[in-house]
This record gives sequence, structure tokens and C-alpha cells, in this order.
Amino acid sequence: MVDVFNLAPAIALFPLFAFVIALFLGSRMPKGGALAGIAATGGSLVLSLWMVAELAGGNGPYQEELYTFIGGVEGEGVTLSFGLLIDPLSALMLVIVSLISFLVHVFSLGYMNDESETGLPRYYAGLGLFTFSMLAFVYSDNLLMAFMFFELVGLCSYLLIGFWFRERAPASAAKKAFLVTRFGDYFFLIGVVAIFATFGTTAFAGDESFVTAAEAVLDGEGEMNTFLGLGNQAWITVLGLLVLGGVIGKSAQFPLHTWLPDAMEGPTPVSALIHAATMVAAGVYLVARIYGFYALSPTALGIIALIGGFTAFVAATMALVKQELKQVLAYSTISQYGYMMLALGGGGYVAGVFHLTTHAVFKALLFLGAGSVIIAMHHNENMWDMGGLKSRMPVTYWTFLAGSLALAGIFPFAGFWSKDEVLYETLIHGLGDSPLLLVGFAFGLLAVVLTALYTIRMVLLTFHGDPRTDVAEDPEPVRWNVKFPLVVLGVLAVVAGALNLGTIKEVIGEENLFLHEWLDGATLSGDLGEEGALSVHHYEEVLEVHAGYGAAEFPALANGAIALVLALVGVAAAWYLYRGAEPAPHMEKLGGVRQVLVHNYYQDEYQVWLATGLTYPIARVANMFDQGVIDGLVDAVGTASVVAGERFRKIQTGVVTNYAALLALGLVLLILVFGLAGGWF
Amino acid sequence: MATIATLPEWAALAPALTFAAAAFLLLLADAVSPEEGNPVALAGISLSGALVSLGFTVWYVVEGTGQPREGDPSDAGAIELFDATLVVDGMSLFFSAIIASVVVLVVLASYDYLQDHPYQAEYYSLVLLAATGMTMVTAANSFVTAFIAIELVSLPSYALVSSLKHNRGSVEAGLKYFLIGALSSAIFAYGISLVYVTTGSLQFDAVTSVVEGGELGGIFGLGVLMILGGIAFKIAAVPFHFWAPEAYEGAPAPISAFISSASKAAGFVLAFRVFVDVFTWEFVEPTIDWVVAIQILAIVTMTVANFAALKQEKVKRMLAYSSVGHAGYVLIALAGLTAGADHAFVLGSGMAHLLVYGFMNTGAFLYVALAEYWGVGRRIEDYNGLGAQAPFASATMTVFLFSLAGLPIGGGFVSKYYLLLASIEGEVALLAIALIVNSVVSLFYYTRVLWAIWAENPAADLEIEQYPTGLYAALALAALATVLLLPAFGPVVDLANTAAEMLV
Repeated sequence: MVDVFNLAPAIALFPLFAFVIALFLGSRMPKGGALAGIAATGGSLVLSLWMVAELAGGNGPYQEELYTFIGGVEGEGVTLSFGLLIDPLSALMLVIVSLISFLVHVFSLGYMNDESETGLPRYYAGLGLFTFSMLAFVYSDNLLMAFMFFELVGLCSYLLIGFWFRERAPASAAKKAFLVTRFGDYFFLIGVVAIFATFGTTAFAGDESFVTAAEAVLDGEGEMNTFLGLGNQAWITVLGLLVLGGVIGKSAQFPLHTWLPDAMEGPTPVSALIHAATMVAAGVYLVARIYGFYALSPTALGIIALIGGFTAFVAATMALVKQELKQVLAYSTISQYGYMMLALGGGGYVAGVFHLTTHAVFKALLFLGAGSVIIAMHHNENMWDMGGLKSRMPVTYWTFLAGSLALAGIFPFAGFWSKDEVLYETLIHGLGDSPLLLVGFAFGLLAVVLTALYTIRMVLLTFHGDPRTDVAEDPEPVRWNVKFPLVVLGVLAVVAGALNLGTIKEVIGEENLFLHEWLDGATLSGDLGEEGALSVHHYEEVLEVHAGYGAAEFPALANGAIALVLALVGVAAAWYLYRGAEPAPHMEKLGGVRQVLVHNYYQDEYQVWLATGLTYPIARVANMFDQGVIDGLVDAVGTASVVAGERFRKIQTGVVTNYAALLALGLVLLILVFGLAGGWF
Repeated sequence: MATIATLPEWAALAPALTFAAAAFLLLLADAVSPEEGNPVALAGISLSGALVSLGFTVWYVVEGTGQPREGDPSDAGAIELFDATLVVDGMSLFFSAIIASVVVLVVLASYDYLQDHPYQAEYYSLVLLAATGMTMVTAANSFVTAFIAIELVSLPSYALVSSLKHNRGSVEAGLKYFLIGALSSAIFAYGISLVYVTTGSLQFDAVTSVVEGGELGGIFGLGVLMILGGIAFKIAAVPFHFWAPEAYEGAPAPISAFISSASKAAGFVLAFRVFVDVFTWEFVEPTIDWVVAIQILAIVTMTVANFAALKQEKVKRMLAYSSVGHAGYVLIALAGLTAGADHAFVLGSGMAHLLVYGFMNTGAFLYVALAEYWGVGRRIEDYNGLGAQAPFASATMTVFLFSLAGLPIGGGFVSKYYLLLASIEGEVALLAIALIVNSVVSLFYYTRVLWAIWAENPAADLEIEQYPTGLYAALALAALATVLLLPAFGPVVDLANTAAEMLV
């Protein structure tokens, strides 16, 4: 029988082929290369599902080194290689990425092709490369390879956000996205190098992995190089935080979240891809990927949880006052990724991955729904110009509503289950021995209310009431290629919660928490052997032993009830404020607070100041030093050489008697020197 | 091995004898039909002579003539002739190969270059006689044979440099070359006489045995330094280099190539033999520490030549200084022979560099010959835009110059790298630094020429109509050898090391 895992590389290679085809042949193909992309991502989806089925059937996990580009000397130095790791986590992520990418490709037919955009081959090539990079990132088996594709993902986002590069705003947004995430990636890069220096490897899995090595050191069974005179655990914390720099940049966590709202300048399907499955998801996925490493350091976990909770809350407040549909969604993304970070930092590995999964579904749905609205509104995104679209575009409305309820965390939509689990995990570990987590939990609870409020506000303003403009009165119809992805995702947004009904686990029993079982590898036959290090129960052990995370008893149902009540409060508030035919702009009553929120707490301003007011003068001084001193030195050497050359040239006078004299003189000089030295005279 | 069994011992000199025979055949052919001289036949005879000589050399090398056989000690196997005044060993064969290769290229190129030249038979026969002399130098094992062979090289060279009799530059260069040459020969002969006075012998082995006997005194030291001066003239090392820029510039370009490549190689083989084998350092050192003397020569030569080359405006003159600079590089092979070094490796690196240099330097001068053939002028800016008109030839020139600079496009990269290793092996940091700094400087002036060839716009009237076969063939061969020596450098350096092993 063919080992299906041998086909695994193709999951990422399909989109790569699509990229090449779209780039070189796209202009000669129907639909500008879209079909190649659809076929490729469809193929990736099928293969990914096959991987999941294979893992569920008890085979695998699969780890294979494909290519070693620097082989270390036996037992010394480092080996740099490309390899694949297909375990439950990466298989799940592969399915998510290829599914979203597939639907985004289909949707693009409606959003790009039907709107007669130019440059389609470039667009589809970008999508292909983006998908390729993310899939390859997901199944990387070591940190260096992950870093490379992490960077490639960043590059692709730059290309796609700046797709309409002739306009000022997209070009600038693309640059911003690139630079801000790059700022975080510097730390990541240093982290990769530091991990190499510490452990000599960056492998994720296996006995030789740095995760296992770090754990062994803390268990007192091994040694590692530490630097700066730090103790073992402190150094592991430093390493974790360095890598976290990249995560914060990519997953748009405070304070590096500023690029994400600007990234809305890209085409809407690209936004869907960035927010749901690629780019932004990459950061959180990375934390989950090396969770065994973070679990060793309570400090790193605490920082992750606090950043996550804080981001969830702050981003939600900013979303309250936005007037443009996609801006609201952008801040909600930042907020939701904050939840995932909160979960991971709070010891809820399954909760974090669960929320990543459900969020991918409903956020892709919301963005595609927003795209549908934007098509209908002739690319006007201001919600105050909409209204009354409910009856005019029912498919979009109902699916969008499903996504919104999921985002708001209303029972029984997908987001309810995952968000509740995030909060629950944080709570029980906070009540255990880590009270700091309760601060994150409080932020999370506040954000629940705000999330429901801005989500329902968005729905009401967009779809309910009377049409406020002529375009909203008579929107442009959308075709099947827009509706199909919406329906698929709409259904998933309703039912995806069934993956892990944690809130009612007391009723249905722990063994029916499918995602938990899946990530624990319990569906696999027997033990995972050396791969057991990647399972949930192992993480829980590590959390307890090394991070001191104990779980307190707290009824899951009670927590679910609290979360739901808070969400309903938000919904009710939104309904109260924005119901009726002619909703008023209530947020303006906030006055000065609104100004602060509209300006996003002046985050952009201070970051721009950091760049122009601080970095630029320093760079100018460095430049002066380079131009004046370094270049001056180099130039001086050159000038001196040329002058010397001129002198040497002049020795050659052309008069042969001079030559004879110089020759004789040279010889005499030699004789004198050596005669004196040798004592001949 | 069969060679020794079937051929008499004097046959070991076949490479030199072939050159001599071809030279006389040329004179004979010219005597038979002096009027309507047939250029094809004359060039054909010369080329055949050079090829046969090269063939003999390669055959001997392959068969292991004059080299230690399996199991012999490393200094055994040399064939000694005429009371050991001549010797055929790995070193002599290695250098014969270099010389014969250069002669092949020069003769090929001369066929086109000499179009309408009135004294072709004389020209070719002088080249071959000089080649005979060079090949004899490689085999010289006594100061007498060495001196005679050197003179056999020098006299035809003077005539060849001024062979463009109606060109003032050519004649003037020949005269200057002759005057400086006479002075240097006098110094050389005086040095030999002083060594004879102190050792009572001229044959190398005999001198060696006296030298090993003990303290020799200042007269001997004076002799050694004067011999060094004589040899420095041959290899054009500063301050005995003054003739080189003048002679190379005035001479027909193929002759410049010939003298700067083959003649230099002959000078070096004598230097290697005399200093490594005869004036063995460990015994001579109290009297005269020639390693230090040569270190000084090497560094001064490299530096003066490369910096002087920077400001040259004529391509040929620039190449002349570059070839002086390369003499400085090769001197590392002697200057690195300090007490702790692996002598065979250091010496072998210099030999290998000379081989690569034989091809790349000859090639570069032949490109100048091509430019002279087209009549495009001698200054660097006269070469503007040649790349577009003659892309193939200009591509070969690119290979030659970059290889001379030591970029990894030809064998010059590896051989220079080995010289660097040799200077490190000898633990002479100053040599290594000078080598690197001067290579950087050289890159600048080589690039100037290439910039003109490829990047500048041609003068309005630049029009190339003829693409001479002989010159192109020579360029192609030289470029091929230069490039192939990059991957094939391993065997070459092994061969050189084996040959060097016999001496040290």
C-alpha cells in the first residue's frame, strides 16, 4: 500500500505550482489563473483531510527529514534541514488553511474577476505563494524552517496588501505591515539563533528536539549552554520571549497590532485569508507548536496571557467606534487572537487551538460576507451608508448573522464554545496557583460584553433599518461564487462548536470532547512513542511540574452561563441602541473618549514618532559616520594608492642610464644591508 | 619506463633539441626560397616544432622520465648528462611544458600578427632558439650551462623585441633591453665568478658539497647576492625590472607575451634550482640569509609593480607591470621557505602559479596583439566598446584578467590561493598581507580595462572587419586552459609538489 504520508509534501507544493502557473501563464488562461489556484488548494484540502483520516485511523504521526542543506560534523556543529512533521496539531491546521484558502479562491472569482480587476495573474500568484508559505510553515519540523516560511508569509502579505500598489494607501499599508511584523521578527531571528546556540538543534519533535532537551535539563537530566549568566529556567524564558517577539508581530498583539487595521487596504478576500488562516494565525500556531517549551516557563506563560487578555480588551474597545465594516472586523480579529494568546498563556492548550479553529471559520465567513456587502455597495465600506440590506441580500445576511453570533459568543454558535473554553481554562488555572491569570480572565470577561456590543452594532447598522443611501436601496447582486463559500462557512460557524463541547462536559462526558481527544493523540493506536511529547496530557504534566499550574475545581456550566449572560448583555445593549429604522450614532456621545478610541489610543502616533523622531536621527548619525569616517577611510586609501601609483610610475623615466643607476643602487643597497647583517666586512 | 630502456639518455633533452632542430629547419627553408617566403610553411614548421617539443615533455612526464620510481627516495631518478652539467628531472620537465605551451600560443598568434612582415623566417627561428635556451635553462645543473643558456635566451630576445625595424619604439625598447641586459649579465657573471672563487667549482652538486662544508665568508655572500641580481633581471623583479615596461611595450605583442611568460618561467626555474638546491638555506644562512633577501624583493616587487600599474594609460604597459607584480607573487615560493615550512608545498605552489600564469598572461598579451592587429590603438580608452564588436575575444580577455586578479573564473584563483597558503605555511604574515592587498589593488586596474571593453561606448570609427583565425585559436586555447585549470588544479599542483620534492 502506498504510504499516504509520502504525499504530504504535495500539500504545500500544489499551491506552489499554482503560483508558478498563475505567474507565467495566468494572462493566457481563463479567469487569470484562478482555476489553477482553486484546483491546487482543492487538492491540498483533499490531501490534508486524508492526513487527518490517516491519523484518526491510528497511523502516524509522521516526521521525515527531506533535505539537509548544511550537515553538521558528526556529533558537533549544527545540522540545518527541511523536514515535515504531521501530527494532530499540524494536520488540523493544514485542513483549516487549505479549506479557507480554497474558499477564498472561489470567492475571488466573484470579488476580483466579476469586478473586472486588472492584474489578476499577479493576484492569484500571490494567493498561491501565500498558501504555499503558510502550509509549509505549518508542517515544518524545525524552528529554522518555520522561520523561513514565516518570513515568506510576511513577504506574501506585503505583496497582497499592496495589490493596488498604484494607490497611496495600499502601498503604504503594505509597507507598514512588512515593517511592523519585521520588527517582531528580529527578536524571533535572534531567538532561533539563540536556540541553536543553546541546544544545537531546533527540531520540534523527537528525542533530539530542543523542547525535549529543555525539559530534560529542568528535570536535572541534561545540560545546555546558557548565556548572560542566567539560570536554566531564566534562559529558557528569555528564549521563549525572543520567539514571542515574532508571534506578537505576526498575530498583531499589543503593541505591534497597528499594522493589521491598515492591512484592510488589500482586497477583501486577502483580508479573509490573512485574518482567518494565514499570516495572523501563524503567530498563535507557533506558540501552540512549541507549547511544550513555553510550558516550562511560568514567566513566559504569564506574559503571553497578560498580553493576550489586554489585547482582547483594548482591541474590542477600539472596534466600538469604527464606522467602516472591515475596520470593525480588523479590530475584532486582534481581539480574538488576544483570546487565543490568553488561552495558551493560561494553560489552555486545547482551548487556544479550538478558538483558532472556530475563529478561522467565522472570521473568514465574516470577511467574505463583508466582501459580498462591499460588492453590493460598490466598494463603499461605511456602515452608516448601508442599512436595510437584510431583505435585499438574504444569503449574505443569514450567513453573516451566523458568523456574528459566533463572534459574539452566543449559544450554540461555534464561537461560544471556544471562547467559553478559553475563559474557563484561564479561570481554573488562575484559581489554582496562578492568581495573575485572573487579571487576564477579567480582561477577557470585559471583552465578551464589548465583542457582543460591536458585533451586533455592526450587523444592525449594515443589514437592519432603512436603507440610508441609494446604493443600499438597490445593491448590486452577487453570484454563486460568492454565495457558495458563505454557505459552507455559515454552516460550519453553526456546528463547528461540536468539536469540543467543553461547557457541557459534565453532561456528555470527557471522552466526547473530540478536539481534546484528537490533540491528545488518543485516537491513535497505542502510545505516540517519542512523539508523546506533543500530546495534551504531556503538556498538562509539564505545566503542573514546571510552571506550577494547578487546576482548581469550578463547574464548567457555571462559567458558560456567566459568559453567555455577559454576551447577551452586550447584544441587548446593541439592540437597545441601534434598533429601529433610523439608528442614531450613539457612540458620538462618548465625546473625548471616542476621540481616543478613534485614534486607537494614539498607538500609531507614538510608533511613527519612534520611527521618525528617534530612529531616523540615530540612523542619520550612523549614516554620517559611515559616509564620513568609513567611506572617507576607504576613499583615502584609494586616493593614497593612486598618488603612490603616480609616484611609482614616475620612477620609470624612459632614460636608460637612470635605470642602470637605479639597478646598481638597488643591488648595492642589498649588498650593504646583508653585508652588514652577515658581518662580511 | 620503457623510455629509458629504449632511448639513449641524451634523448631526455629531446624537448630542447626539437626546438633547435625546428629553428635550423626554418633557416634552411628560408635559405632555399628567400624571396617568396611562405608564411604558412614557416608558421607550420614552428608550430610543429613547438608541438613536438610539448609532446615529448608530456610523454616524459606521463612515463615518469627523470622522476623517482615507485619506492625510490624522493630525490632519486633524475637523469644527469654531460658530467652532470645538465639534469632532467620533474622540475625541468614541468617548466619545459610551460615554455612549450607558451611557444605554441605565441607561434599561433604570430602567424596573423606577422602578416606582411618581411623577416618571418628569422622571427620564428629566433623565437625557437630562445625557446631552446629556456628549455636548456630548466635543465642547467652548472653555472656554466646556466649562464650560456640564459644568454641563449637573452640574445634572441633583444633581437625579437626590436624586430619591428621601422618602428622607433620597438628599436628603442630593444636597445634599452639590451643595455640593461648586458649590465645584468655582467653582474650575474661576476657573481658566478665569486662563487667559483670561494667554492672552487661551478657544477651545482659540487658547489653544494662545499657549501655544506661550513663557513664561507663575505665573498661568497656577495656572489650569492649578485647571482640573485642576475636572476632578478630575468624574472623582472624590482629593482631589476626597469627594462620590462619598455621592452614589453615596444616589442610586438606576441613577443611581449613570450618574454613575460616563458622567459620569466625560465628565470624562475634557475632561481628555484640555485637557491633551494645549491645554496641550501640552513648552511648559507649565517653568511647570507637569502630567504629574507627574497622576502624583501617579493614585497617590494609586488607593491611597486601593482601601484605603478594603477596609473598606466596604455594597456600593454599596464600588463607589463602586472607581470612584474606576478613575479613578486611567485617569489613567495622562495620567500616562504622558512625553517618550519613544508618546502615542497611552498615551492610547488609557486610552480603551479607559473603554469597558470603562462596561460593567462600569454592570453592577455595576445588580446593586445589582436587589438594591435586591428589597429585600435594602445590606450585603455582605445579599447572602448570592443566587447560589442568582438564578443568572443573580449570574453577570453575577461577570463584572463579576472584570473590574473585571482577571481574564481580561472586557475589563477586557486594558484593565488595556494600562494597565500604557502606564505602562511612559511609564517610570513607580511607576505600574506602584501599578497592580499596587492591583489585588491590589481583588481582595480584590470577592471578598468574590462570596463572600457564592455561598458563604454565605442569611438565612432571603430569598425572591425577581420577575425584572424590564428590569433583567435590561440586566445581560445589559452582561455580554455585557464578555465580548465580551475577544476584540474589538483593534479597540476600534485605534479608540481612531486617535482619540488626532488629538489628540497
